[in-house]
Amino acid sequence: MNFSFSDDQLLVRDTARQLLADQCPPSLLRAHTDDITAARPLWEHLSDFVPLGIGPLVDLCVFMEELGRVAAPVPFFATACLYAPVLEAVGEHDLDAVLDGHASGTVALAGADGVWHPNAETRKTFVPDAASVDLVAAIAADGAVTLLASPPAQRIETIDTTRCLYDVETAVPGTSAGTISRAALDAVLARATVALAAEMVGTARRLLDMTIAYAKDRIQFDVPIGSFQAVQHKLADMSLDVERAWSAVYYAAMAIDAEDDDRDRAVHVAKAAAGEAAKRAAKDGIQIHGGVGFTMEHDLHLFLRRAFGAEALLGTTGWHHDRLADLLI
Amino acid sequence: MHLDWGPEVESFRVELIAFLDEYAPPQTRPRRDFAMSVHDAEIIPQWARDWQATLFDHGWMIPGYPPELGGRNASPVQTMVYLEEMSARGIPRALHFPGYAIVAPSLLDFGTEEQKALVPAAIRGDAIWCIGMSEPNAGSDLAGLQTRAVLDGDRFIVNGQKVWTSYATVAEKCCLYVRTDPTAPKHKGISMLIVDMDTPGIDIRPLTHINGNADFAEVFFTDVEVPAANLVGALNDGWRITQGSLAHERAGLWVEGVARLEQTITGLVDLAHRRGVANDPIVRRRIAEGYQRAASLRALGYKGFTSFAQGSSAPEHSYMKLASSEQGKALYELGMEIQGAYGPVVDEERGEEAGRWALSFFVSFANTIAGGTSEIQRNIIAQRVLGLPRSG
Repeated sequence: MNFSFSDDQLLVRDTARQLLADQCPPSLLRAHTDDITAARPLWEHLSDFVPLGIGPLVDLCVFMEELGRVAAPVPFFATACLYAPVLEAVGEHDLDAVLDGHASGTVALAGADGVWHPNAETRKTFVPDAASVDLVAAIAADGAVTLLASPPAQRIETIDTTRCLYDVETAVPGTSAGTISRAALDAVLARATVALAAEMVGTARRLLDMTIAYAKDRIQFDVPIGSFQAVQHKLADMSLDVERAWSAVYYAAMAIDAEDDDRDRAVHVAKAAAGEAAKRAAKDGIQIHGGVGFTMEHDLHLFLRRAFGAEALLGTTGWHHDRLADLLI
Repeated sequence: MHLDWGPEVESFRVELIAFLDEYAPPQTRPRRDFAMSVHDAEIIPQWARDWQATLFDHGWMIPGYPPELGGRNASPVQTMVYLEEMSARGIPRALHFPGYAIVAPSLLDFGTEEQKALVPAAIRGDAIWCIGMSEPNAGSDLAGLQTRAVLDGDRFIVNGQKVWTSYATVAEKCCLYVRTDPTAPKHKGISMLIVDMDTPGIDIRPLTHINGNADFAEVFFTDVEVPAANLVGALNDGWRITQGSLAHERAGLWVEGVARLEQTITGLVDLAHRRGVANDPIVRRRIAEGYQRAASLRALGYKGFTSFAQGSSAPEHSYMKLASSEQGKALYELGMEIQGAYGPVVDEERGEEAGRWALSFFVSFANTIAGGTSEIQRNIIAQRVLGLPRSG
């Protein structure tokens, strides 16, 4: 068992962190809220990293964690974590264009119930970034994959302004791209779930770091509020949740990469642990910031939005606990 | 990043398993998914003494130590595998920890040659030790201890009181923390003495836990004479010794706590089936939550162990202590809740597993208090890991 990053993984992390610190400040998130095309230049910088989507999951998680840290409003998750592996699973030759950064895409699967499992509905829900990618891969009940260019898509307004989700009408002409087996689809979704959990850990750590900095800085009763035990204990619990979620995510990634017997349980553990960490970091982060944390002017709410948006995508904490129960009991 | 430990460790594991299969006594075989010593009438029964000696003689008591100290010079990773296998089977090394876990490393680091000669017996369990630390007015604020020792020629005269002293009623010797300079700042006036428990002037009064066991005690010292040669380390330098422990095992001891959580969850699944609530969605979700928290904690433990094995100091110890003790308490409480009206029943015939859930719930309070309360762990995390300022 070894939880330390390789030199290559550290390079991915450091490169991504530096790039995102320059190119994805909170002001970009605000600009993207008003006009989603504001994030296009950022996406052009990041498309080089798309091949991570079909490589070792640990490497992908390293990058996703950094995206979560800045709540990057780009279709990387849609393209690298959903679309590219679906194309790979069906042996679609257009994959090369995606890996080269020349094409982007997303996956439409969930029906009205919002759950990512095969169904016969043609109106798909919660499709990430459908309006800002080139192609939508619609997956039918039997696993048939159809690639759709600019299908009718309607933005679903959510609290998360950093990730755009859409209802997509898939009963329109498209190109057939073969069939994905149930096992292959489950494997894609398992990887995507862990990758999303890694993103959530990045967001949770950002919220924690912002709140620690504020607690050291903010003076009340003539002392930093971070010297009060009531505040310290909240931060200790937030940090415990973040640390265990980080560990659960990389354990799950290693288990999938190694095809370990524990991987199915580990996926649910990772997403649920990340959900608990992100929700607590967001809620207690705002509480410790007090009134200023509750203003639009402060940046904190951008990450609160991202945290609760990701919590609801690909299964909530409670949903993953229930699936885990099905494996245990 | 990878999951396996590497091939050189697997032969070590095979050797350990062969030893356990041959030598582990029947009392260690039943799955002990509950807090220890609920059923044993004696505090340290004979089978446990024999088992500890067998482990020592075969080099399996503290694998990281050399053979003369009950080990086999195992590497940190091998030690981790040892702790994994023992805890997965629920096999205890010993039913009393002070001698091998605290006294031995303290004497090896700070003792004279004469004092170091006491170490093998402490590890083998031939001599049972207690640790005189906590006092009525020195619990979490341990450095505020007031038991006084005055040097008088070639002996110390000790007066004062210790409390919550585990194994005091059966111990031969005590590592006693005393105040030797009342004028110095509180961390700087403390010394450590080795005290024979049969010295005149020592009065031991058993304290009964809320679960009915009496394996700790109050210990009163009235004009107790201790040879000056029994001072461990330098005079007034005893606080440093409180910081010592099994350094090479510290990074792995969490495995035992996590394994107990996992065994408790297995017990909860069985219990839910027996009580007919295995299909109750609330019960199912809460058991799964417990599993998630134990599994994510295990991953965090391994992450900390990775840093440790590579030579960096890892802050994970406080996270592990805080989370595993609190989670354990929550799981036993869930076990009671699953039984509805029968949760608190402890009578042998009508109670589920002779009331073990309720009694284990009671025992579990010790884990969130002893060895630094959960609140102290949160202080440590906030101040030493997150860098927040000390409270005023």
